[in-house]
Amino acid sequence: MVEQQRIEPADNGTSGKGGGRARKSSFLSEAWKRRLPLLPAFLIVVVLTQVPFLMSIYFSLTRWRANTAEPREFIGVDNYIDLVSNSFFWSAAWNSILMTVVSVGLSLLFGTGLALLLDRKFFGQGFARTLIITPFLVMPVVAGLVWKNQMLNSSFGVINWFIEGLGMEPISFASRYPLWTIVVVLVWQWTPFMMLIILAGLQGQSSSVLEAAKVDGANGVSTFFQITLPHLRSYLELGALLGVIYLSQVYDHIRVITRGTGSANLPYFVYLRSIGGGWQFGAASAYSIVVVIFSFIIANFGLRVLSGLLTDEGA
Amino acid sequence: MAVVEYKDVSRIYPGSEIPAVNTLNLTVASGELLVLVGPSGSGKSTALRMLAGLEPANEGSIHIDGADVTDFEPQQRDIAMVFQNYALYPQMTVAGNMGFALKQRKVPKAEREAKVLEAARILDLEPYLDRKPKNLSGGQRQRVAMGRAIVREPKVFLMDEPLSNLDAKLRVQTRAELADLQARLGVTTVYVTHDQVEAMTMGHRVAVLKDGFLQQVDAPKELYHRPANRFVAGFIGSPAMNLIPTDRIDGKVTFGSFQVPLDAQTEKALASQPGVAFTVGIRPEHLQLVTSGIPGEVKLLEELGSESYIHVQVQHEDRDQILVVRTDGDATVSRGSTVNVGFNGPVHLFGEDGLRIE
Ligand SMILES: Nc1ncnc2c1ncn2[C@@H]1O[C@H](COP(=O)(O)OP(=O)(O)OP(=O)(O)O)[C@@H](O)[C@H]1O
Ligand SMILES: [Mg+2]
Repeated sequence: MVEQQRIEPADNGTSGKGGGRARKSSFLSEAWKRRLPLLPAFLIVVVLTQVPFLMSIYFSLTRWRANTAEPREFIGVDNYIDLVSNSFFWSAAWNSILMTVVSVGLSLLFGTGLALLLDRKFFGQGFARTLIITPFLVMPVVAGLVWKNQMLNSSFGVINWFIEGLGMEPISFASRYPLWTIVVVLVWQWTPFMMLIILAGLQGQSSSVLEAAKVDGANGVSTFFQITLPHLRSYLELGALLGVIYLSQVYDHIRVITRGTGSANLPYFVYLRSIGGGWQFGAASAYSIVVVIFSFIIANFGLRVLSGLLTDEGA
Repeated sequence: MAVVEYKDVSRIYPGSEIPAVNTLNLTVASGELLVLVGPSGSGKSTALRMLAGLEPANEGSIHIDGADVTDFEPQQRDIAMVFQNYALYPQMTVAGNMGFALKQRKVPKAEREAKVLEAARILDLEPYLDRKPKNLSGGQRQRVAMGRAIVREPKVFLMDEPLSNLDAKLRVQTRAELADLQARLGVTTVYVTHDQVEAMTMGHRVAVLKDGFLQQVDAPKELYHRPANRFVAGFIGSPAMNLIPTDRIDGKVTFGSFQVPLDAQTEKALASQPGVAFTVGIRPEHLQLVTSGIPGEVKLLEELGSESYIHVQVQHEDRDQILVVRTDGDATVSRGSTVNVGFNGPVHLFGEDGLRIE
C-alpha cells in the first residue's frame, strides 16, 4: 500500500492528465462489471424483504377485517392509538419483557456454570458435552409438548410424580404458573446454547494468563472474577443479544403449553389478533410494526456488541 | 534474596516415557542470575515451570531458601515469573497489571500505587500507566511484564525467554538493561533462553541442558574455555567450534600430516585413554591462514565487516572436512582459492564418550 502511494504522484506527473482520467473511468466500469452480476440477486432480496414490510406499514394504517365483507379502509394512525390504549397489549408487552429477560438471564447463568464445569478435562468429556447440547437441538414444539405432558402434567408428569412421592398435592403447573412454566422450558432449551458460547470464550482464554494469575497469588475465585469474567464479557453480551432476539419472538412454546393464557407475549398477541381468531389484519400489522421497531433497536445494539467482540481482543 | 536448589528433580509428562527433565541437580546462589540454555525441547521451560509450581515434579525436591516447596502451589512460593508471550491481563491497564499481585495480597491502595509508580519510573512506563496492553508496543509490553514481576519484590524471578518476541536490536539493548536491573535489585533469577549469546552475556553462571540432562554449569568464560563435553563445545560459541572426528595413530592425534599441538596435561590424560576415536575441537578464532599448513580450498566466505569467517575444505583421514577460520577485518582470499590453515590457540580434545580429555 505504502509503496503504491509513494509511486503514484510521480507516475501522474510523467503521464499527464489524460492518463489519470482514463484510469479513473476504467476503474468505475471495473467496479460496475463486478456489481452488475449481483444486481438480480440484490433486487430479489429487496423485493422479498422490503415490499412485504412496506405493505405491512400500509395495512397498519387501514381497518381490515378478513372475516367480514367490509372493504379495506384507510384510517391513519387509529390502529396505533388503539394499541397504546389497549391493556391487553401492555400486558403482552410486559410478558414479552419478563419472559425474555428472565429466560436469557437464567440460561446465561446456568450456561456459564456448565461451561466452567465442562472446560476442564475429564473422562467422557465429549459424551457429556453432547448430552448437554441435546435440548438445544430439540424442535420448540416438541420441547413444549414433552414438558407439558411428560414432565409437568398434573396426573402423569414426572415432576408431579416426585411431588406426590414427597406426600404433597400435585400441581397443575401450566395453568397455575403459565408464564413461569414457559420460562422453565425456554431456560432448559437455551442453557446449552449459552454454554456453547461461553465455552468458546473460556477456551479462547490464554492459559499463560491464568498461570500468571496463579503465580501472582490469585486464588480460583478472584481469578474468575478479575480475569475470566472480564474476558468473557463480550461473549456474555453476544449470548444475551442472540438470546433476546430469539426469545422475544417465542411463539411455539406458548402455543403448545398454555395457548396464551396468562403468558401471551407480543408475537402471540399479533397471532391472536390476526389468524388466531381476531382477523383484524390492520391492527395486527400495526402491532407487528411495533415489534419490528423493537427488534431493530435490539439488533442495532447487538451489532455494536458483535463488532466490539471482533476488535476488543487485539492484544 | 534466596537460594534455589533442585535435588534429583525429574519430570515425566503423562503419556511420555522419556523424562523432559532428568535427575536435575542445580543450586542457584542468592542474588545470582543463572541462565538455563539449551536447544529446543531440552527441558528448560519444564525445569523453570517446576520451580514456579506450574508443573509437578515426579521425583526429587525443590527448595527455596532452604524450605522444601515441592508440593507448594505457585501462590505459596513467593516467586514472580515473566512469560515468553508476557501473559499480561488484557482487560487491565498497565497499572492494574503491575498492581495485581499486591492487590491479591491485600496491600493497601496507597502503598500499592506508590510501588507501581516506583516500578514504572524504573522501567520508563509512567506515561503508559492508564493504557491497556493491546495499545503498547512489544518492547513496552515486555517492560510491563518486568514491572509486574519487580513490584512484587519476590524471592526469585523466573524468566522464560522474555526477550524472544523483540526485534534483534531491541533485544540486545533490553538484554543489557535487564542484567543491570537484576544486579541492582539483587534478586535471585533463573533465566531461560535458547540463545547462547544471551546466555553468555547475561549469566553469572550458565547451565547447559540437552535432552533433559544437565551438561555443565559454569561461568560463561569457563564454558567457553573448558567445555565439559562435545555438546557444550559445539553449542557455546558463535560461529560454532570446529569439531573434527579423528583417530589416534601411533599414540598421537594427527590432523592430515600435522600433529595436533596438545598441552602436556592433555597429553598425559590422553595416554590413559583406551579408545582410538576422538574429537578434536578448535574454535574458528584459534585457526588462522598461514603460508605453510593444512592445505584446503575456500568454499564460502562470510564477511561481517569487522571480521570474516572463511570456510575451508580440507582433507582429513580420506574425508572432506570443513574448517571455519575467523580473521579480523576483510578476508584477503576469494572463493575457490587454495589456502593453508594453521593452529593459533588451544585445542580441545574429547574422548569416544564425548567427555573432555585433560
Ligand atoms: N505439556 C506437555 N506434555 C507432554 N510433553 C511435553 C509437554 N510440555 C513439554 N513437553 C515435552 O518435554 C520436552 C521439554 O519441553 P520444554 O518445553 O521444557 O523444552 P524447552 O527447552 O523449553 O524448549 P523450547 O526452547 O522450544 O521452549 C519436549 O520434548 C516436549 O515435547
Ligand atoms: Mg520453552
